[in-house]
Amino acid sequence: MVKIQYQFKRTTPLRFLSHLDQQRLFQRAFRRANIPVEYSQGFNPHPKMSFALAMSVGLTSDGEFGEVMVSKNIDVETFISRMNQVLPNGLEIITAKICDEGVRSLSASLCKSIYRIRIKVVPETDLRELSESIRSYLERSQIFMQKRNKKGKFVDKDIRPFIESIAVFADSEKDKVNVKMTLIYIEQQSVKPEHVLESVNNQNSTVFLIDPTIEIHREELIIKADA
Amino acid sequence: MNNYIEKNILPLVTKPITYLGNEVNSVHKTPDQEMIRFAFAFPDTYEVGMSHLGMKILYGLLNEEKDIWCERVFAPWVDMEEQLRLHDLPLYGLESMMPLNEYDFVGFTLQYEMSFSNILNMLELGKITMRSTQRKEDEPFVIAGGPCAYNPEPLSDFIDIFVIGEAEEVILKIMAAHRVWKKVGGNRQDFLKMAAAIEGVYVPAFYAVSYDEMSGVITAFTPIAEEVPATIRKQFIEDLDQAYFPDKIVVSYTETVHDRISYEIFRGCGRGCRFCQAGMIYRPTREKTVPTIQSKIKALIASTGYDEVSLSSLSTGDYSEIETLIKNLVCDAEVGKVSITLPSLRIDSLSIEMLEEIQKVRKAGLTLAPEAGTQRMRDVINKGVTEENLMDTVRTAFEKGWGHVKLYFMIGLPGETLADIEGIADLGQKVVNEYYKIDRESRNKSVKVVLSASSFVPKPFTPFQWMGQNTPEEFMNKQRHLKASIKERKISYSWHDSGVSFLEAVFARGDRRLGLVLEKAHQKGCRFDGWGEYFDLEKWTEAFAEAGIDPNFYALRNRDFDEILPWDFIDTGVTKKFLKAEAQKAEAALTTPFCPESCSNCGIMEFKKGWKCNG
Repeated sequence: MVKIQYQFKRTTPLRFLSHLDQQRLFQRAFRRANIPVEYSQGFNPHPKMSFALAMSVGLTSDGEFGEVMVSKNIDVETFISRMNQVLPNGLEIITAKICDEGVRSLSASLCKSIYRIRIKVVPETDLRELSESIRSYLERSQIFMQKRNKKGKFVDKDIRPFIESIAVFADSEKDKVNVKMTLIYIEQQSVKPEHVLESVNNQNSTVFLIDPTIEIHREELIIKADA
Repeated sequence: MNNYIEKNILPLVTKPITYLGNEVNSVHKTPDQEMIRFAFAFPDTYEVGMSHLGMKILYGLLNEEKDIWCERVFAPWVDMEEQLRLHDLPLYGLESMMPLNEYDFVGFTLQYEMSFSNILNMLELGKITMRSTQRKEDEPFVIAGGPCAYNPEPLSDFIDIFVIGEAEEVILKIMAAHRVWKKVGGNRQDFLKMAAAIEGVYVPAFYAVSYDEMSGVITAFTPIAEEVPATIRKQFIEDLDQAYFPDKIVVSYTETVHDRISYEIFRGCGRGCRFCQAGMIYRPTREKTVPTIQSKIKALIASTGYDEVSLSSLSTGDYSEIETLIKNLVCDAEVGKVSITLPSLRIDSLSIEMLEEIQKVRKAGLTLAPEAGTQRMRDVINKGVTEENLMDTVRTAFEKGWGHVKLYFMIGLPGETLADIEGIADLGQKVVNEYYKIDRESRNKSVKVVLSASSFVPKPFTPFQWMGQNTPEEFMNKQRHLKASIKERKISYSWHDSGVSFLEAVFARGDRRLGLVLEKAHQKGCRFDGWGEYFDLEKWTEAFAEAGIDPNFYALRNRDFDEILPWDFIDTGVTKKFLKAEAQKAEAALTTPFCPESCSNCGIMEFKKGWKCNG
C-alpha cells in the first residue's frame, strides 16, 4: 500500500464544483483510470483519499494538493497520464509523487496560500489611495473581525496573524481591481480572502464591492517541504 | 452569451455547475448548416431529469448520428429562472448554450402530469411561441413522448408532434423526414404532414374533437387532414436485446436523485396489476439476455466510474434468469466491486435471499408494496400478493437483521370500504408482531414499520380508467380513519396530499379543453407543481374557474363503458375489450394470472404480426 500525493489545477470550466462534487468526481475518475484505490474496512467502505483543502465554489487554482492510497505500486508518470485522460476539462494533475510512510498529513502541512482576486470596486477608486490605505491597514498589530465559531456564535477573532501581504493592481476592466494576497495557515486555520477584503472595507470605507461575481484564484498553495 | 452567463449569472444561483453542460460524457459537436439541433427537454429539475433512463438512451441514440446534435435542457430552478427573466436571457440548451428557440426540435419527455406547467414555463423562458398553431416558420418543432403521451390531449395545444410508445425507432424516422424536408425546402405544415405519416406519430393539429353540449362528453374525434390515420398505433421495440443502449452516459457532478447506473433488464410487465398504467402500456414483456446485460454494465462502469448499478424494470424479480444474472454479476471481477441494487422487487422471500447476496453494505430500510390492506382489495387490483407472502418476506428480512420496513399502500381504490382501510393498520401490526417472534439474539435491536398511503389516481389504459376518483373529503376521512386504527407505537404513519392527486387525476384523464386551464395556471405563475413548496391549489382553482371548466368532470366522474374517452384514438395493443373485462372481474374480486402462467388475451399478440409473448 502506498500513498500518492498529487498536485492539480482547477480552471474556470469547473470552478463551480462544490467540495463534495469534487470528491465524487475524483473518486469516479480514479475508477475510470483504473487506479487501484484502497478502501476503508467496515460496513460502509469509502475510498482512502483526501485533499489538503476543501475548495469553495467559484475558486480556481494553479496548485491544489490531494492524496490517495493505492494498493499496488504504480509509477507516477502512469498515474498522471491515466488520470489526465479521464479528468474533464477544468481539472488537470500537474505533478505527483509517492510518499514515504509516516509523513504528516496534507492538512497539517499547510503553510501559505497566494491568491489573485478580481473584484469590483466603487467607481472612481484611486489605486494609489487604495494602496496607501491597505498599507496602513497592515500596520495594525491586531485586526479584529466577527467570526462564527463552531457553535454558531459570533466571536471576535484577530485575523492579522493570518495576513502576510496584500497588494492591489489595475485591471483591464475599469470598475475592477486585481488584488494579490498571501495568507498564512496557523495550526490548519486561516482566513478567507473575501473576509480580508471585507475587513479592509470595515476599517476604512467601503472600496471592494464583494458579491458572488468575485473571481478568486489561488496561484500557489505552499506546504511544508517534508509533507 | 456563454461567457456572460458564466461570469455574471451562474455565481448568483444555487448549483451553478448544473447549467454548464460540461459533464463527463456530455456530447459536444461542431455545428454546421446541415446539422439537426435537438434539445432534449426534461420538465423538472436537473437532479430529477438526470436520473431518467429514457433521456440517457435517446441522448446517446441521437448523438450517434453524425449530423444530429442532441443536447439537454431542464427546468431551471426558481432562482435561475428569476435571473434569466431579470436579464432577459433565454433558456438555453446546456451543451452549446444556444437559446431554445434556435433549435430544430425541442423534445419534452412526459413522465408525470404535474410537470405540465413546467413545459409551458420552459417554452416561455425559451422564447418559443406557446401555442403550436401560432408558431412561426422558423421556430422549433416541439415534440413530446413518454408515458403521459398516451393521453396527449391536455397538451395538444402546445405540442406539434407526439410520439406514442417507445421512441428509439420512431425518432430516427422523424429525423430522416426532417433531412428530406430541409432538402426539399417545404414549410412547417409540410413537415408536420410528413411526420404524421410515420406510424406512432400523432399531430394534434390534424384532428378535431366535438363535444355534447349538455353532458360535455366527447361525441366525435375526427381527422381533418388528408391521409392522417384515425388511430395511432403505439410503437414498441421487438428485439430489446439488440436495441440501442449507450455505452457512455453523462455523469453528473452534483448528486442526482438516482446517482448510479440504471440498466434496464427488461421492458413491460405481465403481472397485470389493474391500477398500473405502465403494466398495460409497456406490454409486451421483452427481456435482454444475461450476456448482453453483463457486457453492457461492464462498459458503463468503465466509462462512468460509478460504484453502483441498479437493475431496472417494472418488476425486477420477474426477470426469467434473475438468479443466474445476479450470480454472474457478483462473480464478475469488475462488476463485483460495485454494488448492485434491485429496485421494484415483488414481495417474496426469494427477493430477500437475493438482496442478501448483493448487499454487502449496510442494511438500509426494506421497502415493500402490498398496495392494499386486505386480500379482497388486493384481488380487486390483481396485485397477486398474499398476506402469507408478505409475512414470509418480513420474517426472512427480520431474521437477516433488517429492522426498518416501509410498506406502500394506495387508498381510494375501487369498491374500498372502511374495513379495507383498517386492513392497512392490521397489516402493519402483523409485521411488527413478526419482528417480536424472532429470537432477541438474531434480530435487529430496534424495529420500525412505516406505513405510507397515497391517494389513488385512475389512469388511462387501465381497467380503472372509467372510475371516478375519491373526493378530497373521502380521502381525508379515510386517512383519518387509518390514523385512528393504528395503535402500535412502532408503527409510524405520515400522510400529506395538498390536492396534488386531484389535479393529477384531472390531467391524467383530461381532454383538449384543459389547454386553456394550463395556460391560465401558467400565467398565474404555476410551476414545479410536483414540489410541495411550489404547488398552489388556489391558483389552479382560479385557473379552472376562469377557463369555465369543472375539474370534477375529469377527476370524480364515473364514465360509462361506451363513452368516447379522450385517448381512445390510441391503440396500445391492449384492447378496450380486455380492459372492460378486467374492470368487471375487479368488481367481482376475481384475479387474472401472471402472463407466463396463462395468457389472458389482452390483445398484444394480435397487435403486431408475428409477435409471440414468452416465446
